[in-house]
Amino acid sequence: MSQKFERVQAGEKVFDWLLLLFSIGVLFEAYRIDGIPGLNSPGSFPVGLALVMLASSVVILVSHRRKRRDPRIRNAFHEAQVFLYEHFQPHIVVFTFLAVAYLAAIVWASFYVSTYLFLAVTFIYFRQGKIVSSLIISAVAIAVIYTLFTLVFRVYLP
Amino acid sequence: MSDTFSYFLMAWVDPQLLLLTALGTLAGIYVGAIPGLSVTMAASILISFTFSWDINNALALMVGIYVGGVYGGSRTAILLNIPGAPSAVVTAFDGYPLAQRGEAGQAIGLSTVMSVIGGLLGTLVLAGSAPFLADMALEFAPRDYFLIAVLGLLLVSTLSGKSLARGIFSVALGSSIGLVGMDMVTAQPRLTMGSMELLGGIHYVVVMIGLFGVAEAFYQLHNLTKVPVKQKVDKIIPPLSMVLKYLPLSIRTSIIGVIVGALPGTGGDIASLFAYDHAKRTVKNPSSPFGEGAYEGLVAPETANNAAVGGAYVPMLTLGMPGDAVTAVILGALVIHGLNPGPMLMIETPHIFWFTVGNLALANIFLLIFGLTGIKVFSKVVEVPKALLIPLILVLCVVGTYSINSNMTEVYWMLGFGILGYWLKVFGFQMGPVILGVILGPLLDETYRQAMSSVGDNGSQFLLALVANPLSLVLTAVIALVLLGQTPAKAWLKSRFKRH
Repeated sequence: MSQKFERVQAGEKVFDWLLLLFSIGVLFEAYRIDGIPGLNSPGSFPVGLALVMLASSVVILVSHRRKRRDPRIRNAFHEAQVFLYEHFQPHIVVFTFLAVAYLAAIVWASFYVSTYLFLAVTFIYFRQGKIVSSLIISAVAIAVIYTLFTLVFRVYLP
Repeated sequence: MSDTFSYFLMAWVDPQLLLLTALGTLAGIYVGAIPGLSVTMAASILISFTFSWDINNALALMVGIYVGGVYGGSRTAILLNIPGAPSAVVTAFDGYPLAQRGEAGQAIGLSTVMSVIGGLLGTLVLAGSAPFLADMALEFAPRDYFLIAVLGLLLVSTLSGKSLARGIFSVALGSSIGLVGMDMVTAQPRLTMGSMELLGGIHYVVVMIGLFGVAEAFYQLHNLTKVPVKQKVDKIIPPLSMVLKYLPLSIRTSIIGVIVGALPGTGGDIASLFAYDHAKRTVKNPSSPFGEGAYEGLVAPETANNAAVGGAYVPMLTLGMPGDAVTAVILGALVIHGLNPGPMLMIETPHIFWFTVGNLALANIFLLIFGLTGIKVFSKVVEVPKALLIPLILVLCVVGTYSINSNMTEVYWMLGFGILGYWLKVFGFQMGPVILGVILGPLLDETYRQAMSSVGDNGSQFLLALVANPLSLVLTAVIALVLLGQTPAKAWLKSRFKRH
């Protein structure tokens, strides 16, 4: 008898375990509000929600019993390799790094300078060269941002 | 009556409002169409810029974006087989085969007209039903609000995502985020992890921009180099005979759209699925087999998802509960402007309600105009490479978040939520339930505690009250049925009935 199994993604099980740990953390935080809460106290609803999170994350983990790993994945080490390949491709890692650097730079390099640099570097990297057009597009983007947000919407920029 | 009419026409006669509605609709079509951008993302970012605006201007722009955005997703679904919005996923089933057959223009034209018909019918239902529902809602007890919120969250958990457990987890996660800060009654810190900065809570717009903007930008990095297949577009205005032929189906699916849209927590994406299913079951002789370019398969979801817009406004304006993620953002905008969405809105500020109704109707007229024109420019714009789009989305998210409170810490939070959202999305969790949880969580907490206080903090009395009142009983029964429908008991009951 052949049985169809749902496929589990590389890293999914680990993520679901992390959710369980997170739920326990939320439950602990909720418990700290007023210990074991009464039916109508500040902690009653947060504890309830944390229990719901905990129960659903347990159900999610149990549901893995009905799932199977991709047959092409040979073992746990191979699964880790597939996970890294899928989610830590160079352009994703570079973009994440640039995004974090951009947010850090806003405070000391001003919004416009850091935004221009972020856009220019990212465009050049993603478009594999095309330096001049990337610099021009970044400048146009900055001009549009200035016109739209500073002059039209009148919002405070970092 | 004359007041009502003048409120209704406000956006039609004021040049500034007219312009903002037109701009919003046009921008919405592009936002909805460009894969990687979404209406919720645009509305979330926009809300932070419109804090200081006049409420009518802010609403006019957002209504336009909403109406245009729900429709816009269909264009790329037809032309590129890439739905620009979740509500257009079903449209691609038959829309793309039609385009491959060389009928892209006709398909876009028909989907535009049908979207407008659906949108106007949805608006009509909103205008007709909301005042009565608001009157009824004045009689609702806190436990009824609690039950409606539970039902909404349960529905959104059930209908979105790949499993109920994931949906419920998302809702509980969102609700927990919504509760961070001081307790509204005792001012006791809750879920703050001892941080002083979290005492004021986490602004829901920060969460929204993170989950819908940053997470989506990161997610789109997986398709950075994907090049869509382009289709030729010729004659776009559909013949009248064609519109009349599909009118009965569009009216039926509009009704489905309005009803699904009006359920708290559900939106155009679910409405379009239901409508497509309805068309498949009821149309005996489609123009082509479903999935191979049937016009019926295009008309049904397109009418339903735009009709759901009017439907989604019903619970938002009458009960203060968002019908979907976009109305959750608009609800926030109303609160920020000092308004009181819920039954009192009709009494305290009826002009806001009738202005919204008039504005929705106007946005649909603009939708017809923009939907049937400018297709050549559109084809060029939607091809904007993701390599340019993704960094720009991040910059917009930064600007949007910072403009809420001029606080860089919130920008870091936004990035954090973006990364969390990315991983949740990767592993099959939906963002909609999280956001609805953030919005409805505090409401659930408040109404639960009010309901509990009303029965003297007595658990058994509370449970009794859930079945003692007719409305509460109906709501409790519906919740029980929805839950039952997710368990093996449903299959067991089905087999028992079949046997008999």
